[in-house]
Amino acid sequence: MKRELAGRVAVVGVGTTRYGKLPEYDAYDLGMWALKSALEDCGLGFEDIDGLIVNRIADYQRFGEIAGIDPRYVTITPGQGRFSGICIQTAVAVINAGLAQTVALVYGNNGRSAGDAYGGASDAYGSGGGGLWFPYGMTSPGAFHALMMRRHMQEYGTTTDQLGAVAVAFRRHASLNPDAVMRTPFTLEEYRAARFICEPLRLLDYCLINDGGVAMILTSAERARDLKKPPAYVFGMGQASALAGSTFPPEDYWRAPMQKVAADVYAMAGARPRDMDALMIYDNFTPTVLFSLEGFGFCAPGESGPFVADGRLALEGEFPANTSGGHLSESYMQGWALNVEAVRQVRGECGARQVPDAALVQYMTAAPVITSIIYGR
Amino acid sequence: MKKPLPPEDAANRPFREGAGRGVLMLQRCLDCGRHRYPAARYCAQCRGERAEWVETSGQGVVESWCSFHKAYWPAFEPEIPYDVVQVRLEEGVRLFSNLVGGAPRVGLRVRARFEPVTSEVTLVKFSPA
Repeated sequence: MKRELAGRVAVVGVGTTRYGKLPEYDAYDLGMWALKSALEDCGLGFEDIDGLIVNRIADYQRFGEIAGIDPRYVTITPGQGRFSGICIQTAVAVINAGLAQTVALVYGNNGRSAGDAYGGASDAYGSGGGGLWFPYGMTSPGAFHALMMRRHMQEYGTTTDQLGAVAVAFRRHASLNPDAVMRTPFTLEEYRAARFICEPLRLLDYCLINDGGVAMILTSAERARDLKKPPAYVFGMGQASALAGSTFPPEDYWRAPMQKVAADVYAMAGARPRDMDALMIYDNFTPTVLFSLEGFGFCAPGESGPFVADGRLALEGEFPANTSGGHLSESYMQGWALNVEAVRQVRGECGARQVPDAALVQYMTAAPVITSIIYGR
Repeated sequence: MKKPLPPEDAANRPFREGAGRGVLMLQRCLDCGRHRYPAARYCAQCRGERAEWVETSGQGVVESWCSFHKAYWPAFEPEIPYDVVQVRLEEGVRLFSNLVGGAPRVGLRVRARFEPVTSEVTLVKFSPA
């Protein structure tokens, strides 16, 4: 994206449901709940939505029928976490291209109530599903990340205690967030005592599985100025992928595509990593946080372990990260709630977990599709 | 309680039949010569459509490994914790499998061994070379 497009589109409304176990709501209901809340947040109505992007909700047509809307731009995306960033960037492009003026992004996830296990017979992670490897007991995105982490440990001497530092920091942030599912802080000793799921990863290295919904409303900077809340401008964004050979873990921990995205996102925003006041890092598993910090240039390749171990990601640290508690402790909303947290930080709405004077907040995800977005005011 | 078996797709039958004979078979592109598995109509390197199945040495290196403490299928319950290895074959193709006889470590040289699990199905596992 070009420098002159920086700040041309803004997030004007964000909405979130309660998180946890909500068996009486399906994914459509959760999306509607979030969308009503996002519209309330910005003072717009359903009639103002002329673009709709749904994610993880099974059918856009059914959703439009439930919401009673006829947007002129519509698309739907698969329920993979990498798609939150993709959807937001698509909305920016759609608005900049004049295809729509006000885009609603709607996400609903009833994974907890639906019994999603992310491993075993229903495992569809990766490219085309993992049925070929099931006879060997290989399954789950958690195992994929465990394999990556084992190599990182071997290559650079990274330790599981360094993963523990990430988990401890994010849980402490969640303890300050009334909406978080898991709010009881734990120590590194308690982290070490957690059971392994797929070694070297323990239960506390894994994201939660819970129900919830998130919606975001984006519009042009001109329109954004007249709305209820201060706009959170999209100052930078970038995307790259590593799809070739992606059934297997990338040898470079997705470093090369992340470096491409970093170059684009910082150039568009006219900023550097050290200018970021807070980071929202896709934390499906703790190792992803380490790989992201290396890929986006916050530390040198291989140095993420020591980098996170001394409190840098804490609220009062150099780069406060996942101030909501993230996927590990707030809610597994597949990147969506991290983007909402970025907006709320920029607005100064985060209460006890507010980063003082947060002017620039960066979202990033390390996966076969890498995205990053820099929000600011 | 049975463990999952490999999918019975026609495209990968030569791999399964090879395993039954104690040979590790891979698909090889007739245009650029690169190996691949699972089978695909087009080569992801040169996009050529012509391919053949060839015997390979079954030699490789462990790139990484992990240890499952959770059983995603009841049939794996008695074996937890069990290891899965990520192997890169000499031909460049990667496989997930299990190591038999020895402790996994990154960089360990391994060779294929063949483990019948039913009268029709043989799995490709590895042991230290």
